[in-house]
Amino acid sequence: MFRAFRFIVDLFTQRHGIIAFVFFLLVGLLMRQAPGVVKENIVSSILGTVLYPAQMAISSLDAYRSVVAENEQLKQENARLRQETYYASEGLQELTRLHALVRFDDKWGYPIVTARVVGHNPGRFLTTIVINRGTHHGVKENMPVFSMNGLVGKVTKVSYGYSRVQLLVDPNLKLSVLERRTRVVGFLESVDGHMLMAMVPTHAGVKAGDTLITSGLGGIFPKGIPVGTVKSVGQADLDVMRQMYVVPFQEFSTLEEVFVMEKEPDWIIRELLDD
Amino acid sequence: MINFKWIKLFLVFLFAFVLQTTVGDWLQIFGVGPDFIVILIVAIAIKYGPATGCFWGFLAGFTQDIYAPVEWLGAHTIAMTIVGFLVGQLEERFLTLNLPAKMAVLAIGFFVSDMIYFLLTGLQKDVVTNLFFSKTLPECAYTVIVGAVVFYLSAGKAGKKRSV
Repeated sequence: MFRAFRFIVDLFTQRHGIIAFVFFLLVGLLMRQAPGVVKENIVSSILGTVLYPAQMAISSLDAYRSVVAENEQLKQENARLRQETYYASEGLQELTRLHALVRFDDKWGYPIVTARVVGHNPGRFLTTIVINRGTHHGVKENMPVFSMNGLVGKVTKVSYGYSRVQLLVDPNLKLSVLERRTRVVGFLESVDGHMLMAMVPTHAGVKAGDTLITSGLGGIFPKGIPVGTVKSVGQADLDVMRQMYVVPFQEFSTLEEVFVMEKEPDWIIRELLDD
Repeated sequence: MINFKWIKLFLVFLFAFVLQTTVGDWLQIFGVGPDFIVILIVAIAIKYGPATGCFWGFLAGFTQDIYAPVEWLGAHTIAMTIVGFLVGQLEERFLTLNLPAKMAVLAIGFFVSDMIYFLLTGLQKDVVTNLFFSKTLPECAYTVIVGAVVFYLSAGKAGKKRSV
């Protein structure tokens, strides 16, 4: 094979290349004189078998470069679109919550300030949250805070643009509650920073599954805000009292928006608080 | 045994075509650009002689013909084969050409190539005259300038090789 190739090369290069010249010239002249169909066949076969694949190989390098650039661009666009989708989804969820609020709202006739939860206490148990509404928005201390699910807590500290809200699970917050079915009044407090416990008289016959609402007797929370359901009823230290573990309607760790009821404490409570 | 001369020539041939189809367009001034293919064929023919010159001339012309109108198939092929063969007579093995001489050979090769091409394509006399003044002359000048740079650089490289 190599010898044959060598022979042809030698043949073409001897006599000062005249043989090669005559050969190539003849091929050229034959092509020049060939009929149109043959010419088209030559062109199409060469294009199809040699040049287009070669061009494709060369252009694929360029295509690879452009694909890399396009990939980078698409990644950025993908990140942006994912972010937009995330925001849209968040907005939709927020809208649903706000729709629920609209139905929840206005039982008590107090103005309501919508607030977003922007922080919470750093401790092990969640007892306090920070909301992005303050005196500038009409928020004052001891105003009730609730969500569309139920009572959340009360405002304990107010600054110009932010407020601190004491949650129901804060051991320092105690409130008067009413059992909806039996209409018996008791009081609710946090046991150890994450469990709610209510005490009611034994004779009331409260049982698991009953619902607790605010009684309105404490002077801070208006009557009728849902608080939670009774999970279990147990014996208290005193025979006349029953101890109930309560599951709040609102899961505090998932709070995103809350509503501050612009209700100031009743005058007698205010006086007591001032003292 | 692999003949590196042919691989090298093939790569240079590919490079010249890439240059012609990319840089050639960018270097155009008023529609006039250099012809890297002619530079390549003249350079090969001077360096390696008439057989190699007419082979690569044939290949280059044929490639050009593939992209030209099909009824003119063979015109470039014949023109470039002749140029490769004729310039190959001035092979460096027997003659030493300086840069101006190479530029003159390139200019002549360019004219010969264009003239044969015009002749074979059967264009009318007035069209050929118009093309000669509007295309052939300015493109020849441009090609000779670019060719001078190529010859100068390749000669410098060869000189360095020899001195090492």
